[in-house]
Amino acid sequence: MSVTVRIPTPLRSLTGGADEVKLEATSVRALIDSLEDKHGGFKAQLLDGEGKLRRFVNVYLNDEDIRFREGLDTALGDNDVVAIIPAIAGGAGDASWPRMLQKLKREIAEVEPADVLQTRESEGTVIVDVRDTEEFNEGHIEGAIHLPRSFLEMRAENLLKDREASIVVHCAGGVRSLLAAESLRRLGYARVRSMAGGFGRWKNQGLPFVKPRVLSGEDRRRYARHLSIPEVGEAGQLKLLDARVLMIGAGGLGSPAAYYLAAAGVGTLGLVDFDVVDESNLQRQILHTTDRVGKPKTESARQTLLALNPGIEVKTFEERLSSENVERLFRDFDIIVDGSDNFPTRYLVNDACVLQKKPNVHGSVYRFEGQVTVFWAGQGPCYRCLYPEPPPPELAPSCAEAGVLGILPGVVGLLEAVETIKIILGMGIPLVGRLLTYDALRAEFRELKLRRDPQCRYCRDGVEFPGFIDYEQFCARPTDAVRTS
Amino acid sequence: MGRALHLGTEAGSSIRSHAERDYPRECCGLMVGRRQEGAWKVEYVRPARNLNTDRPNDRYLLDPADFVHADREARGRGLDIVGIYHSHPDHPARPSDTDLENAWAALAYLIVGVKDGRVHEWRAWEYDGEHFDERSVDGAPLE
Repeated sequence: MSVTVRIPTPLRSLTGGADEVKLEATSVRALIDSLEDKHGGFKAQLLDGEGKLRRFVNVYLNDEDIRFREGLDTALGDNDVVAIIPAIAGGAGDASWPRMLQKLKREIAEVEPADVLQTRESEGTVIVDVRDTEEFNEGHIEGAIHLPRSFLEMRAENLLKDREASIVVHCAGGVRSLLAAESLRRLGYARVRSMAGGFGRWKNQGLPFVKPRVLSGEDRRRYARHLSIPEVGEAGQLKLLDARVLMIGAGGLGSPAAYYLAAAGVGTLGLVDFDVVDESNLQRQILHTTDRVGKPKTESARQTLLALNPGIEVKTFEERLSSENVERLFRDFDIIVDGSDNFPTRYLVNDACVLQKKPNVHGSVYRFEGQVTVFWAGQGPCYRCLYPEPPPPELAPSCAEAGVLGILPGVVGLLEAVETIKIILGMGIPLVGRLLTYDALRAEFRELKLRRDPQCRYCRDGVEFPGFIDYEQFCARPTDAVRTS
Repeated sequence: MGRALHLGTEAGSSIRSHAERDYPRECCGLMVGRRQEGAWKVEYVRPARNLNTDRPNDRYLLDPADFVHADREARGRGLDIVGIYHSHPDHPARPSDTDLENAWAALAYLIVGVKDGRVHEWRAWEYDGEHFDERSVDGAPLE
């Protein structure tokens, strides 16, 4: 095909001053190759490093921009006229940004999405997503650390501990990540690269990503103080909302624990209690109110919890915890918070937790003293490792018999709530294998180490669950199955 | 001494009215004529559309379709596009960094300074591949 090429003034130095040349070519790409062969220097003027048409140049085929045809692959016919048109632009405003961007592109190494995926596996490269929360929530690379550009410098040290780690920063299109990568370098991170083309290119290349569940605007406002803790954040709050915690007893320990767990947004709270509100409960059982005396504790607690946080679900079980119902009641919960005040119930709760391998957040109070620990078969000791046999009843009086300082179950119940939250979030060091004691009169906390009993009848390695027993008889104590401290 | 830009009164007044009409937006257009030893001789000008809609007050992007048409018309008359003019509303008639980023060699660049809606200066420049050098403008006195 014989084609006429119109050469603009700025490029005529390449054609020895000729304003047009005739060449044989079947496509624009072939035409540029042929121009290069004949005259030299055209490719550098017309094409970028990747062989694409440069931004500053337009190529027209018979009055039509080839970008609106098939680009460089646009076919040419006989007697076609191809005009090379320099893009003419400028203006009074200074262009400091394009120069800054060019400088960044020179200084920050860029890496293609596919290579990011590969080095992540081979070198353990950390992927940092610097987009805004809204963009992140629309979809992100699984396992990427979300560090929005606006908080980058402030939060980097908390979330990126290793300054020698291989880090790839990405944004949506590959520009903000260059800026972020530069900031990280200034903070002392040695191996920072930017992902070329950003998440957009990652997605377009069909690489895997996840679209996370997100908090509603309402939840975002309610839990704002959690969201601003980097270790909790949105992912942590979603874990809390997904968590299912069963409170054994809505009394002295259960009241403060459930109240704060509800406030924190633990999504499903179960309450097992068969008792009714008594005037003598009100000195410490803060979920209940004077006008609810005589009403079931579960219902009273439900009202208070939902008044505080209507966004959670409160499931009430107005029944005695027993060998018959314990498996059914525990089945749909992840964590059991024991706020009972009697030994048959503690053994029953323990045994069922061992059976279902669930953490048993345990608290107890006596006058001015309290204890907290987490029994968790498989992770540490169970209650039976500590107390294979119950103490004689006369040495283990309930609150009703011994009395309790009203605030004390508040302290202990809230320690139980803290342990519960830590387990849900997988954060910190849980009180597994450790017993925390609190002496209110001395204002003293102590910690005792608890060990697994390798001979424990219920939780030793490889043991088959011995079954539930007659707990009343075991404790030799004629008492109700659940009575709350 | 570099090449001079011979504008002529008619071309000069076209550019002037274009720049004042589009103020406070930037205008741009093509100068058509002959490139001679020691001079660009402008025969006429063709106003073009400024396609920059983001920042039309201090940026321009000349519509390439206007370039194509002006180029064909010029060739038909045995002429050539010899240069570009554009205005700097409320800015001096000096090439900016943006102008430098986008510059092409061999073309005459005429920058028209407009202040409060009135053209008060124009200055010609030539890009040598690295920077702009000023060239003289004659044939079209501003006052």
